[in-house]
Amino acid sequence: MKSLLVGYYRLLKWLLTLLMGLIIIPVGLQILSRYTGIIPRYIWTEEVARFCFVWIIMIGAMIAVREDTHFDVDLLPHPKTKRSEGVRNLVVHISIGMMALFFAWYGFQFAKFGFIQNSEMSGINMATIYISFPVAGISWLLFLIEKVADDIKLIKAHDQEVAE
Amino acid sequence: MSPGEVSLILFGAFGVLIVIRVPVSFALGLACIPVFMLDDRLTPIVLITEMWKSYNAFILLAVPFFLLAANLMNAAGITERLVNFARASVGHLPGGLGHINVMVSMLFAGISGSSTADAAGIGSLMIPAMKKQGYDTSFSVAITACSSVMGVIIPPSILMIVWGGLMSVSIGGLFLAGVVPGFLMAVFMMSTVLVYAKIRNYPIYQRSSFKEFIQALGQAVFALVTPAIIVGGIVFGLFTPTEASVVAVVYSALLGGIIYRKIGLKEFPKVLYDSARLAAISLFCIGTASAFGWLLAYYRVPQGLVDVLAGYGTGLITTGFLIALSFLVIGMFIDAIPAIIILGTILLPLAAKVGMHPIHFAIIGVISLAFGLVTPPYGLCLLISCALGKIKVVDVIKDVGIILVPMLILLILVILFPEMILFLPRWLTPEFL
Repeated sequence: MKSLLVGYYRLLKWLLTLLMGLIIIPVGLQILSRYTGIIPRYIWTEEVARFCFVWIIMIGAMIAVREDTHFDVDLLPHPKTKRSEGVRNLVVHISIGMMALFFAWYGFQFAKFGFIQNSEMSGINMATIYISFPVAGISWLLFLIEKVADDIKLIKAHDQEVAE
Repeated sequence: MSPGEVSLILFGAFGVLIVIRVPVSFALGLACIPVFMLDDRLTPIVLITEMWKSYNAFILLAVPFFLLAANLMNAAGITERLVNFARASVGHLPGGLGHINVMVSMLFAGISGSSTADAAGIGSLMIPAMKKQGYDTSFSVAITACSSVMGVIIPPSILMIVWGGLMSVSIGGLFLAGVVPGFLMAVFMMSTVLVYAKIRNYPIYQRSSFKEFIQALGQAVFALVTPAIIVGGIVFGLFTPTEASVVAVVYSALLGGIIYRKIGLKEFPKVLYDSARLAAISLFCIGTASAFGWLLAYYRVPQGLVDVLAGYGTGLITTGFLIALSFLVIGMFIDAIPAIIILGTILLPLAAKVGMHPIHFAIIGVISLAFGLVTPPYGLCLLISCALGKIKVVDVIKDVGIILVPMLILLILVILFPEMILFLPRWLTPEFL
């Protein structure tokens, strides 16, 4: 299970790098075509760039849940024991999990709309972009399994220490 | 539900979730869910469609590109060149490295649109150098953090792009309006460094000869013309802000890859990944903040606020201070981009009602939010600088507070004298106003 998750995480990282590199091309083409005339003025450039961009945001948001790098605010004093740290993390991860369930369920409804729509300029089926929302929800849930297991381990470790 | 009840649910749930350390982007989204569930007229799917609408905006694409350009410039060793140039220009003043730090931040701000890239790039060079020369760590960290906020005030600025895109204000106009306060901020901060240097006897560099100055200028010249390309290109209508950001990426990739030969095929993907990830985290927040803001607007909360304040008959200047205060407070707790989406859209009708110029409103907001980058508990530039200086946030707060005083004076000046910022866009590009 763990190695599958690591593999998925690596795949997402690779995809994010690739998309970021690719997205430069359509916007670059747009400027080139306007000022040089070497290439025709494509009308799909802006749209394709926007669609890649949505995927970049959603993949980045998936990765950040595994890396714990979404911005949070450090207001309360740090938990003193492993147990309270574990409990605090568990509450946070369950909250993210609720949002993940919301994204998986309603995101899927949203993606279903996409099947009957094609984009205006490039004719791409909108479901290929809308699907990023439920995919994010499911990916968060997958990564959270690992997180919650770690939290429970932390709480149990504390109990063991106290018992000893 | 009444606007009061909805605000209570939204802000109450958001506050509680933030305190228990749920990430800001998720807290904003989760706070919306009960309202969507309770009101029969709404369907929860609106949360997702509002997020989609905010992401599907060509203008926001400038955010990852400007971050990428800044990271490429850092990787290309441009920061070192700027440091050498600043040393040749202001290194001979008392507190040499402090002035260099401020000046490099100003120059770098003209290349990058993000203060965090500024703090990370300059801090990793300047903080160790300052410590080595006997500057107090807390002062070195504080001046690095505070000067990096010029990144969002001096054009190009990611915050101004988001602001302009969201509230339909000319981004070229905003960029021009940021020039004077950004430059004044550097002058104010260098005066503070001077006072510190006199009291604490900080070291001085020997004045560089004219030849050395020209050499340093020559080494940095490719970097120094970047702002002219980016800002000039946008202001004079050669390209849109998003296209300008791609020009910045291509230009810095050429500098780093071909001219300075610092970025190879191995480093490039890493810079791509780092920039994309940071941009995605900030922008994901925009989505949930937009849904949050949409709900506030749906229940007419901003209008309610305007009605309440109109009862007190607040004028232009009082409103200016009120706007600044609101952004200063919210900036302490959340990232600047969601703050713009939530608070900016709430305050927009208020600013319009008292006849405040949209560019004036935006610049007051952006400068106030710039404070938020260095004020705890959530000040990203401060956190980055402290991590680089290996020092606790608590130990730096006093020096940060002192350096912020002249910045506060600048903010007050901007509120009182709108012409100070408006004359430049009025003069160069009257069509934007």
